Amino acid sequence: MSHPVFDIIVVGAGHAGYEAALAAARMGAITALVTMDRRAIGRMSCNPSIGGMAKSHIVFELDALGGELARNADYTGIQFRTLNTRKGPAVRANRLQSEKSAFPERIQAVIAENKRIHIVEAIVGDLHIENGSLSGVVTEDGSILEARAVVLATGTFLGGTIHIGDQKLSGGRLGEPGAYQLGKRFSQLGFRTGRLKTGTPPRLHRDSIDYHRMELQPGLFPPPVFSRAARLDLAEKYGQDCSTWNNDDLHQVEPCPVFHVEQLGTPLKPWLPGDRQIDCYLTHTTDQTHEIIERNLGRSAMYGGHIESTGVRYCPSIEDKIVKFRDKPQHHVFIEPEGRTCVEIYPNGTSNSLPEDVQVEMIRSIPGMERAEFLKPGYAIEYDYFDPTQLYHSLESKIVENLFFAGQINGTTGYEEAAGQGFVAGVNAVRKIRGQSPFVMSRHEGYIGVLIDDLVTKGTDEPYRMFTSRAEHRLTLRQDNAKIRLRHHAVDIGIVAEDETLVIQRMADRVQAEIERLRSIYADGSSLAQLLRRPEMTYADLPNQDFSLTAEEIEQVEIDLKYEGYIARERTQIEKAGQLERIRVPAELDYDQIRALRYEAREKLKRILPENLGQAARISGVNPADIAILSVWIKKMRG
Amino acid sequence: MSITQNDTIAAIATALGEAGISVVRVSGPDALPIADRVVRQRKELPSQRPAGMFTLEQVIDGERVVDQALVLIMRGPHSYTGEDVVEFQGHGGSQCAKSILRVVCNAGARLAEPGEFTQRAFLNGRMDLVQAEAVLDLIHARSNRAAAAALDQLQGQLSQAMNGIYDDLIALAADLEATLDFPEDELPDAVLPEIIDRGQASASQIQRWLDTWEEGHLLRDGALVVIAGRPNAGKSTLLNALLGRERAIVSGIPGTTRDTIEEDIVLKGIPIRLIDTAGLRETECEIEQVGIARTHQKRLQADLEIYLIDATLPPDSHEINNLSTDFQKRRLVILNKIDQANPEWKSHQNTIDIQLSLIKSVDIERVKDLISGKLVSGLDLEARPHAVISERHYQLLSQAKHELEAVLAMLLTSHEDEVALASTRMRDVLDLLGTITGRTYHDELLNTIFSRFCIGK
Repeated sequence: MSHPVFDIIVVGAGHAGYEAALAAARMGAITALVTMDRRAIGRMSCNPSIGGMAKSHIVFELDALGGELARNADYTGIQFRTLNTRKGPAVRANRLQSEKSAFPERIQAVIAENKRIHIVEAIVGDLHIENGSLSGVVTEDGSILEARAVVLATGTFLGGTIHIGDQKLSGGRLGEPGAYQLGKRFSQLGFRTGRLKTGTPPRLHRDSIDYHRMELQPGLFPPPVFSRAARLDLAEKYGQDCSTWNNDDLHQVEPCPVFHVEQLGTPLKPWLPGDRQIDCYLTHTTDQTHEIIERNLGRSAMYGGHIESTGVRYCPSIEDKIVKFRDKPQHHVFIEPEGRTCVEIYPNGTSNSLPEDVQVEMIRSIPGMERAEFLKPGYAIEYDYFDPTQLYHSLESKIVENLFFAGQINGTTGYEEAAGQGFVAGVNAVRKIRGQSPFVMSRHEGYIGVLIDDLVTKGTDEPYRMFTSRAEHRLTLRQDNAKIRLRHHAVDIGIVAEDETLVIQRMADRVQAEIERLRSIYADGSSLAQLLRRPEMTYADLPNQDFSLTAEEIEQVEIDLKYEGYIARERTQIEKAGQLERIRVPAELDYDQIRALRYEAREKLKRILPENLGQAARISGVNPADIAILSVWIKKMRG
Repeated sequence: MSITQNDTIAAIATALGEAGISVVRVSGPDALPIADRVVRQRKELPSQRPAGMFTLEQVIDGERVVDQALVLIMRGPHSYTGEDVVEFQGHGGSQCAKSILRVVCNAGARLAEPGEFTQRAFLNGRMDLVQAEAVLDLIHARSNRAAAAALDQLQGQLSQAMNGIYDDLIALAADLEATLDFPEDELPDAVLPEIIDRGQASASQIQRWLDTWEEGHLLRDGALVVIAGRPNAGKSTLLNALLGRERAIVSGIPGTTRDTIEEDIVLKGIPIRLIDTAGLRETECEIEQVGIARTHQKRLQADLEIYLIDATLPPDSHEINNLSTDFQKRRLVILNKIDQANPEWKSHQNTIDIQLSLIKSVDIERVKDLISGKLVSGLDLEARPHAVISERHYQLLSQAKHELEAVLAMLLTSHEDEVALASTRMRDVLDLLGTITGRTYHDELLNTIFSRFCIGK
């Protein structure tokens, strides 16, 4: 067998694809990134917005592990906001708008800088399998690309069908072709596939909107950023005191330039995050909008019977909202500019699959959009996805060794969910060919761990979106402590620079030392820790402060102490759950031997092959009695 | 407890001792082949017969017939354990049953551990944890009412109620989570007040079940009723009257009863252990001192104390003071020998529950009513028997209610960050409730519950 040219091939260059390729290359692997169009790498198919509830957590986690999404969003951000500020640190989330053109340009520049990544423009039509083992991919024009492991991140392009009313087009995105051979090939190999549906609203011309009739939604300054790099740049420019970007009371801080930040104006750092933010606007649907949609439901692709696959329940199309929430008199529509120079406006909340003439009538019934000019119609897209229970936690396929799946192809929705999986698949592809154990994040370590465990354990029959409620240990898994709680993984993976991880360790140590100090110093009969736990108290109100602490460290001290009881409660729950998690299910276990298992449970277990009892217990259709039986059986196998 | 699901277990399912018949029960994948091996072969083996059929067989040990037994075949999953089950109904008396058990074990079964049959029923999904516990209660029931309550629980009344509360709270938790995961403007108005209302409704439902604990405790564990009082007050006479026979020696000599006497009776469906005690007085007699010490000990453990006073003596302010200030205990105060009462008692009616004369004919049913009334004050024993919660349920339910109330209190504050914390606590509520029916998996819990069973169930 000839030596493969590449270590890793990544098919698809969306958010899962570029994270996979960058992770693999940064770990030292020679990587091919196969895409139909190199200018489409990192393109934002839907709105140019990153973060939001629970998704923000994934972005922070990626930054902690050495992913690119956080930096890329920050440095191309044109509006920064914090959501859920009043609901406590566990559910607080950042959300930003990126400049639609700058985002992919920056990713492409990052990839161009990495000499280990080779971009190959092609459509993949088949896997290259020699002597029963995967050795690369075959393009639709018949050429073979050899590699030791392959990551599939094809998004919505596999079997993509676009619907605009009763009009049907083939494609992975409007105006871009889909891939149709590969999906068929996978069915032959025994992969279970399904169809999912997602959609996007029309794009409007920014000069055709009457903003006076809408509510202004300005960005925050200083900008709440995701990445440590952006945070350091901002601190360098504005000084350390401005670095608690999540605090409401800092919104009004005036920029106070002290240092010059290098490299601004390049594709990698087109501007400093927070500079020249642009505004978003809020408007709403009207009775007339609802009437237009009702009247034309029969012409909608979704309701006219053209689409049968399941859509995103949590991000419904406007037809869905009208039909399912009839008692709601109006729905919000957020007007999001796609960039400073770009004239496109994204009317968030109006995703639909109506014919174009109805879309125009419907959009123009919304206050401020009476004269809206269409640049692109909204559409729904149906695509193939693979049942993710056919994957291990490493995201490697159980059916074909050395083949990894990441992103929307696994049934998820969202850039963040895709990027999280891409990173994990990229890292694990490299670890696999190096004979190392896979990188697996537990559910109690991070949202990426929750995401992957949910996918491979429970599967999904609708586009999977992250929520904070999916995490059992929400107070432990905050966005503000992501780099601290994931430090050991970052060290193990080795993409984050060593001195950077040491800085994080020192920060964690200083936080811990300060908490101990606050516990041991008393004022008026209470320890400073007790004082700080009072709801109205902040660190700044305490006597005897340590002025050497950074704002970020102070934030950690405050949260750790204020929520101490709850964090301890979660720790107990984690330990309890860990008992089952530690009982490994032997690979040689034959479920057919265990006659006491109910049929449904046995079939589910055989299909999912849980790695431990904790995972087995999370499989739907497997009940506590089945776990008791398995537990006994495993004990017996060990003798 | 070690449980291995793939072998076949056997045990004597009836009580040992002289009896008409005794039953040996065999359950597991090899139950039918084992039955084939231990009966004298005729034209049709037990394993070839349809389920639910009885046949008279000779149970053999080699060539020797050890007993004649009716053999009943039940095929899984339509059996108590959900596995193949064979019952041998042999002659009563411990010898025959032991012989059948021995040949069955020689043929490949192993002795069942306590509770293992029911555990298998649970593991095979034939019943949930609450129902399995009801089996235990039913076996141990000491009165009709206790048995009826256990049967109700076995038939799923309690499980349904617990599952209903669990489902309501799951829905509530989901709505609570939604307030965190969706921006305010996408949620219906006034979602929190509505969640709080529903939570309060669930809390009061939990409370209604908590209220059944007292009755459950009485039905399951019975009540300890101590008859106390000074010497010669008529304690032993009362014991005998309640029992309807001359159990304790009665004499006019104070201090006749020196040791405690215990007897079991059932009053209004409540199993009661009745304890007659040595009269309370200062004494030099060592034996009597030990008896009085025991009296004090029993009085501390009692669910109800019947305190008898001799009405022929003038009221002792010290004694009356003790009775009216010690509110710790449920107590029935009886003024005895009322036919010869000292007139001063007229001014102490408040302290007395009933006055009577045990020597003269007395309406003992009225005394029994008073006893059961005091034991279950607030409970309606005339009502149809219904499932009642056990100590284990009580512990879990009261913790769950405590947590749920904490959650509701947090939601009532104006601090919005409490919502995230409250929903974390809500998960504990669900975990506690799920533990009751076994919807939440706990290894130790299963073992604890099933190890309380006797062998054969």
